[in-house]
Amino acid sequence: MTEKWRLLVTPPMDAASNMSMDESVLRHCGDTGTIRFYSWEPWAISIGYFQGMREEIDLDKCKELGVQYIRRITGGGAVFHHKELTYSIITREDNPKIPRNILDSYGTICQGLINGLASLGLEAKFHPINDIVVGGKKISGNAQTRRFRGVLQHGTLLADVDPELMFQLLLVPNEKIRDKMIQSVEERVTSVKHQLGRIPEWENMVQAMKEGFEKALDITLIPSQLTSEEQQTMERVRSERYATDEWLFKR
Amino acid sequence: MPRMNGCSRGSSVFKVPGGKLIKVKLELEDGIINLIQVQGDFFMHPEEAIEELETVLAGSSSNELHKVKDFFSSRDVQLVGVVPEDIVTAITMALENAKQQ
Repeated sequence: MTEKWRLLVTPPMDAASNMSMDESVLRHCGDTGTIRFYSWEPWAISIGYFQGMREEIDLDKCKELGVQYIRRITGGGAVFHHKELTYSIITREDNPKIPRNILDSYGTICQGLINGLASLGLEAKFHPINDIVVGGKKISGNAQTRRFRGVLQHGTLLADVDPELMFQLLLVPNEKIRDKMIQSVEERVTSVKHQLGRIPEWENMVQAMKEGFEKALDITLIPSQLTSEEQQTMERVRSERYATDEWLFKR
Repeated sequence: MPRMNGCSRGSSVFKVPGGKLIKVKLELEDGIINLIQVQGDFFMHPEEAIEELETVLAGSSSNELHKVKDFFSSRDVQLVGVVPEDIVTAITMALENAKQQ
């Protein structure tokens, strides 16, 4: 019998709430794994744990355009959460479905998205360390942490990409190379829209990815809600961590 | 930044070939690293080990960068996307930059 995992499809939330929910589920991770699909309202930029907020992001421009900024508990780079489907997968670190080796586990988990993209008609490949590519161009970036005896991997599937807007919000070393960096993203990054010529309904992308993960991990996903303990922890880590300048400007 | 009491700041950006990016910011005073931050889009597990590494390096002389490799060989810390030598390279670049200030 296939293992039953929880499916959380959560409404669009602000950056601090989104990151708090992922951390809360990780802190409570038990025998049942969880896969969550979510989006960001308002748009936001997340930076990796090791990045400097003031080094990566034009804070004034973010405020002007109403774009939030947040620090993740996972490493990796800055991501503009704009037109995308975001997912997280959380399970105990000793769940045999997830390789103990971190590099291997990226490939195992990303296979869920690759399956989902296939059912949307796109031939995607895992590109180590932590990317998924279509036609050699990045369509998904992923980041993982291992804490609280659990594994959390979250990542993004680009529905559309707007490098010009992105580089208004991200700092560039100097103005002279801004256009070059925009051009470079246009050459290296793709999206579901670029590949299919349209953006499928969000619900259809969720359904495709849900089935993709079920196949990749041999699990059945059961629609579910946060437990009251998870809800409480989410509110606590939101106010104690993600909503504080201490955390945002930690580095 | 003007040079005061032999104190200068340095920074570097090092893109590891085929890997991730490391950005180092440091403050150097009379050959001693006062403050250092190792930023970037790499991965380190557990993440908080980066602050431990920075604490180990603060107060070190600029010729004690072997402490970076010692740190990773003596602890259960996993680096992904960069290797300890890459961090040493980025710090060395930032030290050179500080000396030119």
